[in-house]
Amino acid sequence: MPPPPLVALRGVTKSYYGQKVLSDVSFEIAEGEVFGYIGPNGAGKSTTLKIMAGLITTYEGEVRVGGADVGRDRDRTHALIGFMPQGAGFQNWRTVESALDSLGELSGVPADVRARRIPALLERFDLLKARTKKVKELSGGMTQKLSLIQALLHEPKLLILDEPLEGLDPPSRQLLKDVIRERQRAGTTVLFSSHILSDVEHVADRIGILKAGEVATTGSMRELMTAFDTPIEVDVWFSQAPADLAYLHDPAFGTAALRKPGEWRITLPRGADVDAIIHALVERTLAGGGRLRKIGVAEPALDELFARYILEGGRRGN
Amino acid sequence: MATKAATRILVRDELIGFARSKVMLVLWAVLPALALAGYFLLKDVKLGPGADGAPMPATTFMSMLISSITGTMAALMVAVDLVSERQRKVYELLIIRPVRREVIVWAKFIAVFLSVTIACVISLLLGIGVDAVRGQSLTDEETRGVVRATVTMVTTVGMSAAMGALLGVLARTILVAVLLILYVGQNLAFIPMAPVYFGVFPDRFWLVQLVSVGIIIGALALAGRSFARSQF
Repeated sequence: MPPPPLVALRGVTKSYYGQKVLSDVSFEIAEGEVFGYIGPNGAGKSTTLKIMAGLITTYEGEVRVGGADVGRDRDRTHALIGFMPQGAGFQNWRTVESALDSLGELSGVPADVRARRIPALLERFDLLKARTKKVKELSGGMTQKLSLIQALLHEPKLLILDEPLEGLDPPSRQLLKDVIRERQRAGTTVLFSSHILSDVEHVADRIGILKAGEVATTGSMRELMTAFDTPIEVDVWFSQAPADLAYLHDPAFGTAALRKPGEWRITLPRGADVDAIIHALVERTLAGGGRLRKIGVAEPALDELFARYILEGGRRGN
Repeated sequence: MATKAATRILVRDELIGFARSKVMLVLWAVLPALALAGYFLLKDVKLGPGADGAPMPATTFMSMLISSITGTMAALMVAVDLVSERQRKVYELLIIRPVRREVIVWAKFIAVFLSVTIACVISLLLGIGVDAVRGQSLTDEETRGVVRATVTMVTTVGMSAAMGALLGVLARTILVAVLLILYVGQNLAFIPMAPVYFGVFPDRFWLVQLVSVGIIIGALALAGRSFARSQF
């Protein structure tokens, strides 16, 4: 019997002034999983995360974290969850260190643990030198990192991050992705929303796509490709193209299109045997006197899947 | 986390915040100094009870002046802080922790109430000091008047700060909060006086104070409840 999921949303519906923002949202996240939550602006990502963190308390449906209902058993779920809200603010007069110390104290972290953990986290996020700086003097990216640190202070079982990569420079984005992976290895479950889909793709084990308040689908990249019935494409680079390229247009291969001189993209027919086609392509290229530089399956990026899903405007597969 | 411990942490932090934001400097030094300057400027003007000949004691002058200012100040401090911190999403980081939401508002109230009350006490002590230096002692009647003025001042500060908390929780912008305080909150002091004014009760000083305390508790309960039900 599989272990129960750490997070379970069932039929979560939220309306503002009669307008539904979330409609019957349901998904589960297993313990130790990294779950990427994506959707266009206004789809309801932040609302979902705020409900889970206990910031929004009026909604229909059920949200359970670690078996406890976040609406009813707040003390227990507060202790389990670390939340990084989007654009969180700190009291302006505070220094970086005092802000973290006070929030850690409110989370119930003992003083001696705070004294060890805060400098360690500041160092990990390259903020140790700014420990005595006032929060209002920090740049947007530094504030973003501070916001993440406060979510980690009590070492929660579930880390919920709302757009954590927004406003970060590439090294900081990489750092954050590394930290997410480190936390995962330490047993933390991570749920994060993002618009930077390539980052979601690289970090998340599973992805949930939210559109107009409904979760259209959840799954791994591979499962999403299947759900969206995404055609498989093979890219072929010639170092020397054969004199006759007519074989590329063989219906058995699918549809070939020239992308750049010497570079073709072949969209395979649905259900085609990818390995067999690649093998045939190599054979016929060599037989035609051509030479290959590279050949490989082009998996669509999450951006592409997501854009396709949004453009096609509906639920597919799954 | 126990409510008591969270309240202690939040009140402590609010007080440190005020101290660092120079509000305390204004309250505890500038305000009494201005009141004192006002006294020396106006001491020869015949005002109030001392108008029949003897100059008004500094203590009486200070208590009158400070009580007329501090109520509005307390209400504005609480309300503006609440609205501004909510707009900057400061409370989101507190609410996600095991802290009762009401405590966040009550801590702000306690910190402002304490800060402003201490400012009042400093001003009064300054007045008493000036009177002592000038060899002008208060008559029994004046002493009773100062005690009553001080108690009224404290309950007024409490009522104003509590109303500031309620309006600060309800208002969504600083402008609305300020307007509500100036046009609604400032008339609140009339409520405990109303039964006396309309002749329902005789002038029972302590009864009026009791009604004031009731209003403070009611306003704080309402503010806490509204804040707890807020969606962030």
